[in-house]
Amino acid sequence: MEKYSHDIVIVGAGLAGLRAAVAAVEVNDKLDIAVISKLHPLRSHSVCAQGGTAAVMRDKDSFELHAWDTVKGADYLADQDVVEFFVQRAPREIVKMDHYGCPWSRTPDGKIDQRPFGGHSYPRACFAADMTGFHEMHALYGKATSYDKVKFYDEWFATSLLVENNTIVGLTAIDLKTGEMHAFQAKAVIIATGGHERIYEFTTFSHTTTGDGMAMAYRVGVPLEDMEFVQFHPTGLVPSGVLITEGARGEGGYLLNANGERFMKRYAPEKMELAPRDVVSRAEQTEILEGRAFTGPYGPYIALDLRHLGEEKINERLPLIRDVAIKLGGVDPVKEVIPIRPAAHYSMGGIKANIRTETPISGLYAAGECSCLSLHGANRLGTNSTAECLVFGAVAGEEAAKYVASKSFKEMPHEKIAAEEKRVFDEVLGSEGGESVPALRDEMRRLMNAKAWIYRKGDDLESALKEVRELKKRFKNIKVEDKGKAFNTGFTAALQLDFMLDLAEVTVVSALARTESRGAHSRLDYPKRDDEKWLVHTLAYYTTDGPKLEYQPVTITKWQPAARKY
Amino acid sequence: MNGEVLKVVEFKIRRYDPDEKKHYMSTYKVPIRKGTTVLDALNYIKENLDGTLTFRHSCRMGICGSCAVNINGKPMLACYTQVLDLNADSLTVEPLSNMPLIKDLVVDIQPFFQNFRKIKTTLIKPAEAFRRENEFPQSPEELKKFWDLTLCTKCAVCYSACPAAIDEKFLGPSALTANYRFIADSRDEGLEERLKPMTDNVWLCTSCNSCTLFCPKLVNCSDSVIEDRSLIVEMGAIPRTVKDVLESVMKYHNPMGTHQNKRMEWAKDLNVKTFPNVTKADVLYFVCCSTAYDIRNREIAKTMALVFGKLGVDYATLGEEEWCCGDHILRMGEKGLFEMLAEHNIEMFRKFNADKIVTLSPHCYNTFKNDKPYKDLGLNVQHYTEFLAEALENGKIKLSKPLNRRVAYHDPCFLGKRNRIYDAPRQILQSINGLELVEMKRTRESSFCCGGGAGRVWTEEAEQEKRPCVNRVKEALELGVDAIAVACPFCVTTLEDAMKVLDVENKIAVKDILELLKETL
Repeated sequence: MEKYSHDIVIVGAGLAGLRAAVAAVEVNDKLDIAVISKLHPLRSHSVCAQGGTAAVMRDKDSFELHAWDTVKGADYLADQDVVEFFVQRAPREIVKMDHYGCPWSRTPDGKIDQRPFGGHSYPRACFAADMTGFHEMHALYGKATSYDKVKFYDEWFATSLLVENNTIVGLTAIDLKTGEMHAFQAKAVIIATGGHERIYEFTTFSHTTTGDGMAMAYRVGVPLEDMEFVQFHPTGLVPSGVLITEGARGEGGYLLNANGERFMKRYAPEKMELAPRDVVSRAEQTEILEGRAFTGPYGPYIALDLRHLGEEKINERLPLIRDVAIKLGGVDPVKEVIPIRPAAHYSMGGIKANIRTETPISGLYAAGECSCLSLHGANRLGTNSTAECLVFGAVAGEEAAKYVASKSFKEMPHEKIAAEEKRVFDEVLGSEGGESVPALRDEMRRLMNAKAWIYRKGDDLESALKEVRELKKRFKNIKVEDKGKAFNTGFTAALQLDFMLDLAEVTVVSALARTESRGAHSRLDYPKRDDEKWLVHTLAYYTTDGPKLEYQPVTITKWQPAARKY
Repeated sequence: MNGEVLKVVEFKIRRYDPDEKKHYMSTYKVPIRKGTTVLDALNYIKENLDGTLTFRHSCRMGICGSCAVNINGKPMLACYTQVLDLNADSLTVEPLSNMPLIKDLVVDIQPFFQNFRKIKTTLIKPAEAFRRENEFPQSPEELKKFWDLTLCTKCAVCYSACPAAIDEKFLGPSALTANYRFIADSRDEGLEERLKPMTDNVWLCTSCNSCTLFCPKLVNCSDSVIEDRSLIVEMGAIPRTVKDVLESVMKYHNPMGTHQNKRMEWAKDLNVKTFPNVTKADVLYFVCCSTAYDIRNREIAKTMALVFGKLGVDYATLGEEEWCCGDHILRMGEKGLFEMLAEHNIEMFRKFNADKIVTLSPHCYNTFKNDKPYKDLGLNVQHYTEFLAEALENGKIKLSKPLNRRVAYHDPCFLGKRNRIYDAPRQILQSINGLELVEMKRTRESSFCCGGGAGRVWTEEAEQEKRPCVNRVKEALELGVDAIAVACPFCVTTLEDAMKVLDVENKIAVKDILELLKETL
């Protein structure tokens, strides 16, 4: 084992992680910054973000309006101070991306173009065709790699955070190329590892986005906040779950049931297909449950119809969607409808962090989807997530840079490192049981789909909890078939499943406790929002017996909860 | 995933165990449904048949660039390739080329990404412009000029397919395209700085077109490299070797550095009709500078004349009025010079008024067919292999003598990859009695360039092991053939050089198809 030292170590190299790196070096170019990622940065899930990035760019729009849309979309669970700060910082990020070279789509007079998006009452989604995240990532990576002081550890798998006296001192990570574990000493650590929706079977997520950072933070005592709030995206391509951007509806696409009816008129007569995602996904799920969906070899589906947009508009505004639909769905959207259904897409919950991205552990920051500030409350609006990654990635970089200026490296906890080596190599890789990791993973995903999906019930969630806990027990009895050292992906799959089982448990426990329906969390047994009791954030703390829940009030500045209609 | 199993496909996968340093193949049978991608199949193998199989993957929607592998010799994204579309019962899956192996299908991508560190991958402007926190204006038309080049996912497919990338000095198709993407971006002001890291290596590209042919996002890297070169030529920062070629063409209208009045020396014992003595014939025989001047290649030109004669074809050449077609010159980035050559040749074509042009070189063929301003004429042009394959099919040529040789055919890039002429040359070879035709491991679309394109035939300075031709000859030696058959004078030159370098001239020879044909007439 070798020891590496860096002032700031960033875990995860998606939008938030890369933005943090650039921000930190811009605050202080003397700092020594490391970016660790289990993937090459450009393989991060952020490249899958399609539709746009929300920001107030024009006089007819306003911060007030963007904030209000976000708060209402969040079903009033967002912390409003965070929302107000966020909307003000978003435009700066759009311009930064422009300065780094992001090829933003343009208006005829040469300005950055904006398109409509669900739940936004002004077309404020800046976009680069339908590959916005991809282009932001390539622009940011191009910028981040231009600094010599940012060192990249590509394909290093972080396994645990090292904390002493409630202060971060470093972390452990495996160099996948060699299979060796090494310790990183750091004055500050920024977690930017993304969401955990791979706990579900039908999801828009990349195979590799498994919520590792959330689980690592949880295991060292940082609470996971609002984990019951999982966003289901209305348009996951059948059968793979690959994302079909909301921009497709932003450009005018229709949702049709098997009767050819634009059913959204019964659910959101005003906003129709551009109601927030929780509303649209529930509508689709209701159509499916009530037998009005299409049926195909891969189960029921809803039709996303773009045909009336015409080939030219589809090619210009939605080229990726057309290509993906042809290559992976076997349909050409110019001529045919796209088969879709709701897919697990985003975690509103995550590592509890404040408006400065600080977690309760000194020197530990969290930004992007893995964090919960809480900007999105009970339901995130489309295009607010890439904006969040940029805004709060930058905040994390700036805050960490300021923090480390007056800090020195701490002694590394050798016992903890040894214990982590034992856990990883002896208990996971060395386990000689009979359980298959992919089989356990698939069981987890199926049960989460069956019992913790869009519509939830107390008894389903109780049984889901029992099953997840059973899976956790069975995990102790796994066998990783590949015992090799270098690039052992069977081994990393096991480490990821271990993390995901914790996160599935927290998700179910938090959902079971919240006896109301709010935003993306819909309880059939508690169909109403209950502001008296539940206008609070859930905080799930790690204990050896499973998560312990606490609650914390929502920060309300301007907007009192009211009925939510679209 | 559910759905009906439509077929069972055999996957033969090249493996590498780094702990034991062992190379081996594994074979698996995978049930294929509608929609099953190669990545789905690899995951099926890993999760059901062999947990040790190792490959990269992430987004499974063709945008993250993780899962590129060679499938039946062609680099592609596993997640973006439907197994049913490959129309095969058996597939060979191998790791990408040109990068060190780590394990099984996983290669070390650092050499590929290192190239991007040598260029600037962010906008260059005076610092003042960045301090003003305003968006930079850019019209949709300006965006369109570089948009297609922004779609590169950095999957390294092009780098794997690139013959020039065997020399690590070469930045590679993707980085060179990224550089041009910024040059073409109206917001950028860093032209001079961007040209610098390219000047000593951009010339290694042979314009073989593999990068563009295999790019999952249809990014035209090959043309971007020409744009890069064109700017470097304009700036004047070109190496001596390149300068010599361009000056020769400027002065003599051919790259061989010889006066035009020597152009017809190859035909001095033959009775070849020549412009301006003849101004009309059925076929205009476009000889090519390399075959007209290079003593080694003159045999090829002569044989074609002989075959025309045997067939009773009414043909003529432009004689001293045949100027270099300009294919190499255009691809070396000298657009102005190319235009001058094209203008002259077009004028001659108009004066000559031939029904058909037959070229010896795939390069002349390609530029007449595909490059403006030639392209706009809609010329009726054939490569000689097409012309001969037709004649053989119609029974017009009789090949009397048998030829007992074991021969591998090397697809010239400008005939194959650029014009999809794969079958005509093979038809000719197969019609020769006694000739055993062997396919090279990398063949047809996956063929490996000889290294001669885009002027490199005259400017080669790479160390021997880093020359594409040397690699190609080694590949042929493994097949135990006594000759490599080609249908391009530049392939003759480069491959013969490689045979000299490797000192294998007594074991293997390079023969133009016409030379083989001559032995059978």
